Amino acid sequence: MSDITPKQRVLRLFAGERTDRPPCFSGMGNVTTEGLKKFGYKFAALHSNAKMMSDAAASTYKLFGFECGVVPFDLCVEAEALGCEINVYAHLEDILYPTIKKKLIHTEDEMDIRIPSDLAVRGRIPLIKETIGLIKADIGNEVAVGTYVLGPFTLAGQIMELNDLLKLSFKKPDKIGKLLDMLAAAIIIVAKEYEKAGADYITVREMGATSDVLSPRVFKNLILPYLKKIFAELKTNTVLHICGKTNDIAVSMVESGARAISVDQKNDVAETRKKIGNDSLLFGNYDPYNVLVSGTPEKVRETIRKCMDDGVSAVWPGCDIWPTVPPENINAMMDEVKKYRR
Amino acid sequence: MVTEEKRQEILEKLKNAVIQYDEDTSKEASKEALEVGLEPNDAIFSGLVSGMEEVGRLFEAQEYFVPELLMCADALYAGLDILKPHVKQLDLGVKGSVVIGTVEGDVHDIGKNIVKMMFDVAGFTVYDLGRDVPLDKFVEEQMKTDSDLVCLSAMMTTTMVGMKKVIEDLKAKNPNVKIMIGGAPVSQDIAEKWGADGYAKDANNALKDAINMISSLKKLKEEAEAKKGS
Ligand code: B12
Repeated sequence: MSDITPKQRVLRLFAGERTDRPPCFSGMGNVTTEGLKKFGYKFAALHSNAKMMSDAAASTYKLFGFECGVVPFDLCVEAEALGCEINVYAHLEDILYPTIKKKLIHTEDEMDIRIPSDLAVRGRIPLIKETIGLIKADIGNEVAVGTYVLGPFTLAGQIMELNDLLKLSFKKPDKIGKLLDMLAAAIIIVAKEYEKAGADYITVREMGATSDVLSPRVFKNLILPYLKKIFAELKTNTVLHICGKTNDIAVSMVESGARAISVDQKNDVAETRKKIGNDSLLFGNYDPYNVLVSGTPEKVRETIRKCMDDGVSAVWPGCDIWPTVPPENINAMMDEVKKYRR
Repeated sequence: MVTEEKRQEILEKLKNAVIQYDEDTSKEASKEALEVGLEPNDAIFSGLVSGMEEVGRLFEAQEYFVPELLMCADALYAGLDILKPHVKQLDLGVKGSVVIGTVEGDVHDIGKNIVKMMFDVAGFTVYDLGRDVPLDKFVEEQMKTDSDLVCLSAMMTTTMVGMKKVIEDLKAKNPNVKIMIGGAPVSQDIAEKWGADGYAKDANNALKDAINMISSLKKLKEEAEAKKGS
C-alpha cells in the first residue's frame, strides 16, 4: 500500500519528484450522473450554486476515488464576466452544457473592448472562488483541488463569431493579436483570483487552437506568445490543454511555459514523449467518451495501460469526463492505475 | 462564341481565385466570364467549384485549415453572387432545398458551416437555422419551406440524442422528407438505428448523398403522379 495521499502524489509530480505511479486525475470537469443522483441535483442547477457545485465536484473522488476535485463545469465563466449572456438550459432535464447566448463582439468594428476594472468580482468569478474554498474544506487534505480558465483564442471564440475570428487571424493578425493580448490580461486576473482561493493547479484550456481547426504555424505565431504571457504570470501549478490533433504543436505547448501539457486521444503520446523528452510533464490521453463511457471495463483497462506504457506522467482524460460514465468503467480505470508500477 | 483558349484562361483564373482566397479576382473573372459570353454554369462548375474541390484536397492533406477554407468559401461566394443571376437553370439533375442546423445545446458549428457551403455551391436553396437550434424549430422550418431535406449536425454525445426526437417528429409530420445527420460522434449505425435517411462523415460525401436522396425522392414523386394521372 502506498503511504502518501493522492494530493501529495499530484503535488510531487508537479514538483518534478518521482512518484510510485502516475496519478489519475483531471483538470477539466468530471462530475458524474452517479454523483448528481446521490444528492438529487439537476445538472443545470449546479452552475450558480457554490454548495451544489462543490458537492458535485467532490463526489467523483468520494464515489470512485478519482484523485481531484475540479470546478467549474462549463466554459462560460470568463466570457460571462466580460459581459456575455449565457444559457444554462434550466428548462431541460437532460445534461446540456451551458453556452453563450449573446456575444460581446458582433462585427469587426466592435473589437476594441476594454477589460472591466472590476472583472475579479463580476459574473460567477466570486462564486467559483467560494466553491474552490468549499471543496478544499471538504476533501482538500486528501486530493488536489483544481480549476480552469480558457486560453485567449478560445475565449475570443466565445465572445465573438468564431468564423470572423478564424478569418481575421489570417487577414488581420495584428488586430487579433491586440484582442488576444487584452484577453490574456483578463485571464491572468481571473486565474490569480483562483490562486488566491487556493487552487492547487490551474488548467488553461485552449481547445479552439487545435490543429483540427488551425494550422501549427498560426498557433506558433499568433497564439503561443499570449499563452507564454499567461504562464509567466501564474505561480501555482499550471497545465496547458489542447484537444484534437496536437502532434505538430506539442513542442510549442511545452515552450509556452506551462508546468505540464495535456493532450487527447488524437495525440500519439509515444511520439510526443520522444519529442519533448522525459523531463516534461505530459498528461493524457484516454477518450472520455468512446472509451470511458461507451467502452467495456476491459477496453478501459487496455486503454489506460497503453496511456501509461506510452509515457503519460498522469492518467488524465482528453476532455471533460462525460457525466454518464458507468461506475464499473471508472472503477476499472482507477484499479488499473493503482496496480501500475513504473 | 468564346474561344477555347479564352475559356481556359478564365476558368483557370476563377479556380485560382478560390484556391488563393482572392475575392477581388474572383469577382473580376466572373464579370469577365459574363462579358465574353462564357456559359455561367460552366464558369461556376468548371471554375469556382473546381477550385473548391482542390481546396477540399488541400484541407484533407492538412495544407489548409479551417480559416483558409472559410476564406476560399468567401471568394467562391463573391463569384457566385455575380454569376448566379445569369444561370437559367442549374444543371445538377436535381434542384433541392435543405434545412440545416446544429441541434439544441450544441454550439459547435464549424463543421455544419462547411456542409452548408457545399449545398450553397451546388445550387441548393439553404435555410440555415444556425447553432443551438431548439428541436421543434427544425420541424417548423421544414413545414414552412417544404424542403426536401433536413440536415442535423451535433458534435456532442449528449446533444446528439436530440436528433432522435427531431427525426421522429419530422417523420410523423411528413413521412416523405429526407433526413441526413452528421458530426463527430454520429455514425452510420446511429443513423440507421434512429431512422435517418443518410449519414456522411464529411461535407463532400454529405453532398453526394444528398443529391442521390433528392433524385430518388423526385423520382418517387413523379412515379406517384404518373400513377395518379393514368
Ligand atoms: C472547436 C471546439 C469547440 C469550440 C466550438 C466553437 C464553434 N463555434 O464551433 C468551443 C470552445 C466553443 C467548444 C465548446 C465545448 N466543447 Co468542444 N470541441 C471543439 C473541437 C476542438 C473541434 C470541433 C471542430 O470544429 N472540428 C472541425 C470540423 C471541420 O469538423 P467536424 O465538426 O467534425 O465536421 C465535419 C464532419 O463531422 C461532418 N459534419 C458535421 N456536421 C454535419 C452534418 C451533416 C448533416 C453531415 C452529413 C455531416 C456533418 O462534415 C464536417 C466537415 O467535413 C472538438 C474536438 C475535435 N477535435 O473534434 C471539441 C469537442 C467536440 N468538444 C467537446 C466538448 C465536451 C465541449 C464542451 C462541452 C466543453 C465544456 N465543458 O463546456 C463545450 C460545449 C459547449 C456546447 N454546449 O456546445 C467534446 C465532445 C465530447 C463528446 N463526444 O460529446 C469534443 C469532441 C472534444 C473531446 N476531445 O472530447 N468546443
